[in-house]
Amino acid sequence: MTVDSVPLLRLPRVLSGSAALFLFLFSPAFFAAPCVAAGRSETLKIGVLAPLSGPYAAGGTSFVQAATLAVEQANSEGGVSGQRVTIVVGDTQGRVDVAKSEALRLVSREKVSALVGAYLSEETVGVMEVAAAERMVLIVPVAATAEITDKVRQEYDRYRYVFRVGYSLPQWAELIAAFLSDRKVGRYAFVGAGIRWNLELGETLERIAAPRGITPAYTAFYSPGNPAFDTVAVAAAAASPDIVILADPGRNSVSFLKRLRESAPTLPALSIGGALGDARLAASVPLSAPVYVQAAAWRGLSPSATAYVERYEHRYGAPPVGYSDTLPFDAVTLLVAAWRKAGSVESAVVVPVLERGAFPGVAGTYRFDGSHQALWGTGPGALQGTFVRWERGGARIVFPPR
Amino acid sequence: MHPLLQVLLDGLFTGAAYALMAAGMALILGVVKVINLSHGAFFTLGAYVAYVLAERGVGSPIAAAPLAAVIAFAFGVFLGKSFVNPVRSHPFALPVGTLACALLFEQAAQMVWGPHPLSIEAGAPWVGPGGLVIRRWGVIAFLSSAALLGGLKWVLSARPGLPLRLIAEDEEIACSLGMDVEAIRYLTFGGACAMAAAAGALLSPSGAVTPTMGRAPLLLSLVVVIVAGMDSVAAIFLLSIGLGILGNACAWFLSPQWSYVALLVAVCLLLSARPAGIVALAGRRD
Repeated sequence: MTVDSVPLLRLPRVLSGSAALFLFLFSPAFFAAPCVAAGRSETLKIGVLAPLSGPYAAGGTSFVQAATLAVEQANSEGGVSGQRVTIVVGDTQGRVDVAKSEALRLVSREKVSALVGAYLSEETVGVMEVAAAERMVLIVPVAATAEITDKVRQEYDRYRYVFRVGYSLPQWAELIAAFLSDRKVGRYAFVGAGIRWNLELGETLERIAAPRGITPAYTAFYSPGNPAFDTVAVAAAAASPDIVILADPGRNSVSFLKRLRESAPTLPALSIGGALGDARLAASVPLSAPVYVQAAAWRGLSPSATAYVERYEHRYGAPPVGYSDTLPFDAVTLLVAAWRKAGSVESAVVVPVLERGAFPGVAGTYRFDGSHQALWGTGPGALQGTFVRWERGGARIVFPPR
Repeated sequence: MHPLLQVLLDGLFTGAAYALMAAGMALILGVVKVINLSHGAFFTLGAYVAYVLAERGVGSPIAAAPLAAVIAFAFGVFLGKSFVNPVRSHPFALPVGTLACALLFEQAAQMVWGPHPLSIEAGAPWVGPGGLVIRRWGVIAFLSSAALLGGLKWVLSARPGLPLRLIAEDEEIACSLGMDVEAIRYLTFGGACAMAAAAGALLSPSGAVTPTMGRAPLLLSLVVVIVAGMDSVAAIFLLSIGLGILGNACAWFLSPQWSYVALLVAVCLLLSARPAGIVALAGRRD
């Protein structure tokens, strides 16, 4: 024990220094300035719900970065009737219970005027209940489950505050099916993380692609926590599909694609969910066969899309992935535009404006249907998104034909 | 070639990756006798070192492993001397403390490199007879884990490993013989951290480099060492390989989502049959 006594005597000094730092960081003095600023009445607050920790932290960080960029742009254009707009972020951690409690905190303690989020479908369905109970506008950027807009349609009075900017699963499946048809794909493998939107998208795509003569050759989902990449990659390649659709918004997508390239170097892959829209990741994957990425918008799609990409890249040092950043950017932009049109942030006034209006964004002009779903698809006037193909030096838009 | 053969070969490589991580964990558990929950953070550190070197044109993880090991050894010795040695007599404080260190490192990595996954080129695999794909990272994992565990076995059985064996058996006798037990403990801790970092560097091209990438290997290496028993290096290697093959076989025959569950069920069964570790089944452990 005498051997241990010297370090034990030293430890409290280290701890006392740490304790002092801890007390300072969490003291009222440290938070005083932001609290005062946030409390000023001329500031309008948007509550942003995204996972900043956990397996989807990368997507959540892009989400918040894009929302920040959108409010900066709104403020540079004069804010809303002269009032500045700020965002207050709640970290959902990718968990339903945390997402709901963070939504409640943003509404009751931070006094936000509207919510934007969450990220996963599971989280968003939970946050919908908070928005409905508080009668607060909720703009959903990326969560795709059909349950969100089904609830609005079935119980309009309760959920009329909820609007989805991103594509629903049937719309998403229609966009993918159109792309597969354009690439003359007959059989595809659908693999990805075993999370809710993937499981539902796999079923929806099978149903929507079937009339075009496109059928699944293999379907499998791996556990996000400890994925069995090797087996899924080998089995997908053994099924001899024309393309592998990789549905994973997280870090595992690049690991899986590496395994797939090793097992089947000439098998094309389509990444959905945004992860492989990251140029830094795409640069590490062999391009011995096409690697496609589905995105809401991409550089070159339109002047506003190019301007957004350049601003994002200039600000954050890397280009956006075109999904988990672009849709939140449009969600915040659209919300601010609705506040301006309504001349108010009151939900009762803003909801009819959102229902009837047309709102330009990076991906195109947003209009909502009766279930408060933005119109995506292959029809005239619908937002179409884009599919790009990675090549050495960057990505090229390959669909829809331009 | 039947795809099942490929799946089993990949399982062998995955198991070798578990063994690579478990080697350092066995050393810490056996000699320092603490559960080090920051072991996964050193794995992550190694992967980031490999990424930084790859960004600067040194793409080979084999070149990155020694540098990662040296950095991790320095950190490990510091952690061992300043925290583990003084606190190790408090059984609950140490796992919590090392877990806090791991979380601190994850946060620091996120601040330095961001939460976005990073990636290193894996290099083309070799193609064997019948189109069998021999993954480059898998071969590296297999050879390095065999070398590391083989080296560990040799050190522990030869003269240089005598102090480690003695401390593992009875610290009081080691003290009475004039050994600097404290120094040997923190140097061993540093050495084990170096092993974890080398493993992280060597395996970094196989997947994505993220701040939390060390969590899964930490859990699996801990499981392997506890189930195999800390006395037998060969048992650790064989159990790692077995679990790797079992996980892939379950993913093939049942469902990919069941592979991890199957691993944990197998571990629970083994532990309930022999809580002291499977080596004790052969009567070599009391």
